[in-house]
Amino acid sequence: MSFFNNYIYGSNEYLGRLYLIVSSLITFGLITLFSISADPLSINSSFMRQVIFIIFSLFIFLILNQINIKTIHDNSTLIYIFSFLLCFVPFFLTPVENTYRWIDFGFFYIQPGEYLKCATIILIAKYLSNHQLEVKEGYIVIIPILIALISSFLVLNQPDLGTAVIIFAPVLPMLLWAGVNGFTLFLLIAPVITIIAASNNMIFNIWGVLMFIIFLAFQGSLLKRIVIYFANIFTGLLFPFFWNDFLNGYQRQRFIDFLNPDLDPMGSSYHIIQSITAIGSGGLFGKGWGQGSQTQLKFLPVQESDFILSVIAEEFGFFGIAIIMFLFFMLIKTLLDIAFKSSDYFSSLVIVGLTSILFSHIFVNSAMTIGLMPVKGLPTPFVSAGGSFMLLCFIILSLVTNFSKN
Amino acid sequence: MLKIENKADIFHYRTLLFILSFSILTLLSRYFYLQVIEHERYSSKSQVNSVRAQATYAPRGLILDRNGVVLVENYPTYILTVTPYELDDKEKQFQIISNITEISVDELSTRYKKYYQGQFLPTIIAKNLSFAEISQIEERRLELSGFQYKRFDERLYNDVLKDAHILGYLRELDRESLPFLDKSKLYRAGELIGWQGLEKQYENELRYSKGIEYIEVDTYGRKINRINDNNIPAYPGKNLTLSIDSKLQQFSKNLLTDQRGVILVSNVDTGDILSMVSNPSYNLDIYRGETTDSEWRDLLSNEGKPIINRNIAGLYPPGSSFKIITALNLIENGLLDPEDSLMCTGSYLPPGSSNTFNCWKEDGHGLVDLNKAIAQSCNVYFYETVQLIKLSDWTKTAKIFGFQNKTDIDLPNELIGQIPDKEFFINTYGRWGWSERGVLLNLTLGQGDILVTPLQSLRYINHIASRGSTAKLKLNANKKVEYYDDIILSEQTWDRVIKGLYDVVNSEAGSGWRAKQSEVKLYGKTSTAENPHGEPHAWFNGFFDFEGQTFSLVVLVENGGGGGAVASPIAGQIVKFFTNEQVEIVNK
Repeated sequence: MSFFNNYIYGSNEYLGRLYLIVSSLITFGLITLFSISADPLSINSSFMRQVIFIIFSLFIFLILNQINIKTIHDNSTLIYIFSFLLCFVPFFLTPVENTYRWIDFGFFYIQPGEYLKCATIILIAKYLSNHQLEVKEGYIVIIPILIALISSFLVLNQPDLGTAVIIFAPVLPMLLWAGVNGFTLFLLIAPVITIIAASNNMIFNIWGVLMFIIFLAFQGSLLKRIVIYFANIFTGLLFPFFWNDFLNGYQRQRFIDFLNPDLDPMGSSYHIIQSITAIGSGGLFGKGWGQGSQTQLKFLPVQESDFILSVIAEEFGFFGIAIIMFLFFMLIKTLLDIAFKSSDYFSSLVIVGLTSILFSHIFVNSAMTIGLMPVKGLPTPFVSAGGSFMLLCFIILSLVTNFSKN
Repeated sequence: MLKIENKADIFHYRTLLFILSFSILTLLSRYFYLQVIEHERYSSKSQVNSVRAQATYAPRGLILDRNGVVLVENYPTYILTVTPYELDDKEKQFQIISNITEISVDELSTRYKKYYQGQFLPTIIAKNLSFAEISQIEERRLELSGFQYKRFDERLYNDVLKDAHILGYLRELDRESLPFLDKSKLYRAGELIGWQGLEKQYENELRYSKGIEYIEVDTYGRKINRINDNNIPAYPGKNLTLSIDSKLQQFSKNLLTDQRGVILVSNVDTGDILSMVSNPSYNLDIYRGETTDSEWRDLLSNEGKPIINRNIAGLYPPGSSFKIITALNLIENGLLDPEDSLMCTGSYLPPGSSNTFNCWKEDGHGLVDLNKAIAQSCNVYFYETVQLIKLSDWTKTAKIFGFQNKTDIDLPNELIGQIPDKEFFINTYGRWGWSERGVLLNLTLGQGDILVTPLQSLRYINHIASRGSTAKLKLNANKKVEYYDDIILSEQTWDRVIKGLYDVVNSEAGSGWRAKQSEVKLYGKTSTAENPHGEPHAWFNGFFDFEGQTFSLVVLVENGGGGGAVASPIAGQIVKFFTNEQVEIVNK
């Protein structure tokens, strides 16, 4: 019965809670997919495919659960190299929709970039756990960022900007978790905010003052702080100049296209307008299961993956979305609880990293459906249709299960 | 378990929890704003006016012959679609449509089910609507919410060439076949796709690129407004120019009258196929409008198998033309002196056997050398000489000329035929059920287990005409000229064989004398291929020089009788056609 206890109730109270939340999310996703499939029981419907993916992923989950955490820790470099090489495979295959992101297995596609994300986290966690004593030093951030950069650069060439950006999502939370000091983390974010703030004079001025106060508040050599402060200000000042005068219109467009490779040829604003109309027309309690006139194949493409939350919002209303958001919140909170209670530093870091990936997917996807972010092909964990990502979610689940055993 | 203890700070935990709560609350408040506060606005927006992306189409590319004669063009018709969600009263509305179009309600319901792709997507339920019908539908617009008509191009064929075998046809995609398509994302149910022949082969070139138009529609699906932002125009497909000369094609077709068979004519230098006739054929108009199931069944069960393109999918024993394979082997490998003569008494008794093998000429050819053996197609000469060749060498030579291999013609569904080798015989007749010497007696006459397509036979004659280096056969005039692997034999070998082929037509007792034309030097080989289906198949494979270029032809009359008597005169007619009228073939 120990097997049963382990897998159903979990080896601790959190694991049981985690499985309950995941099952609820999957059920919710399947109910929604059933509603939007024209012929749900045919083998080609997104519903049936999802059922098969889940069974398959569950199978992999049970296998991976047998692997010892120490094995993963000791072989983290090997795992990374393997995932890294796997990303090269698509370059030797015929491109799918003009990109080299996918390995075609006939029935479904595997996106090696997804697995590189996990491997990157494990490698960073190992590095941080091996250098725990130096964590207060500023230079500790260099190697983790370098690892993330290498992975990101590879994925960028597939090209897959969405995944390339998501690879960075776990870095800051992991560094924070590891105990890197706040000022160092601030230095990492500052240039990014500076460039974004540079688009508007007012915001840029406020940011300049804010940054000045933060720089004053932290300790360290005065000269160093002044240099970094002005480096930031100059970057901000130069960026619009560089953008407007040094790049011609064609190059700017290239840059925008580069930032938005997933832009649908039909025009992404059309999708967002339709998504918002679908969500808004759902109201408090929704139009009912299978009754969403906006999302029922009429207006939204990729609704079974990218825009599934719009379907839920239209058919189940704010009520449904609140349940889904609550489940997402509990999912992430439970994972953080597990990381916090974990007795081992390495496991704890890995779980935080994996949690960040799930969270960034949830946030970017939801924000996209309500027009807070540009269209990016990032699916929602456990809810969106799609084999490769579902498998990744189960792999994450299995790593968490493994890492919380002690 | 691992050495280092987790010392996660409660402050870090709380920071992350705070970020999480903040993000989720931000998302939720935005959802709340859209769904509860702004609900009225979006609700009415979703009910009254909707922006709908609709596909726009452009014409499919035309198909022309080499001289620019339009063989396939587009013919505008109107189709009627219905959007299931927008129907008020399906029964009543179908009845109205049935009254207007005279299509039964049952038939309408059947199509509705067959092409249904979702509650909100238009389903095609009627085609070929006349202008009068369209006007009636327009008059009763208010009763017919959910119904829309739109222009839809069909293929229109020129009377000169309605040959289903080459051109192929388009098929309407239905729900069942859609998921099995390679590029299913590009297609929607109810659209047309090249399903056979050139329409299939060049689908990517001929097909238009779909455009997208954004329109605002009201609850009745009526267009209120056109939105120009982000519209993507549709582009017509590319035209396809064929190597076929439609006059020659028509002329060749008439030569076969109602006999089953094949006529192929090609330019040896470019690989262009000028004529490709497969008789019987069937009229492409069957794909226009409504074809009933029984018409289809008749076509499929027809004894003459009109569905099959015999050029690429008909398998026949090649007969005596394969004597050339033996001859090439003999000369190239120095197995005999071509000048040496044998005595043909009309029959051959293999050593150690009691079965005699007969020559087609009962009282024998007398003294025969290689040249005479080819010219008069003497069986006994080849019975005796083939005994000098190993089976493996003989099959290898046949395969070098492209037999049991695709010709790479730009048509789908080409068959490769069969050249039996040792393994084949062991599998078929067992280890001891055959002898190498015995089967060679059959193979050298192109009989037995050999099966070839007429197009392979054309490739074979082109290899000989070009002395080993010939262009790949093709139907697209603008396709780059590519070459088959060169066949390297000594000049003397080619000379001997080609001289033999010349004498087939031009010598006094040559088997193909009926093909002879005074103005043009024609080379060729007749075949009379025995088969289990009745009379022998009559073949003529040949080539000729005309105004500095080399042309080749294959004539096959199924169960027609003797190659010399039946196929040769047809070949002669084709050559005559070149000299009489068609100079423009050469100039292009």
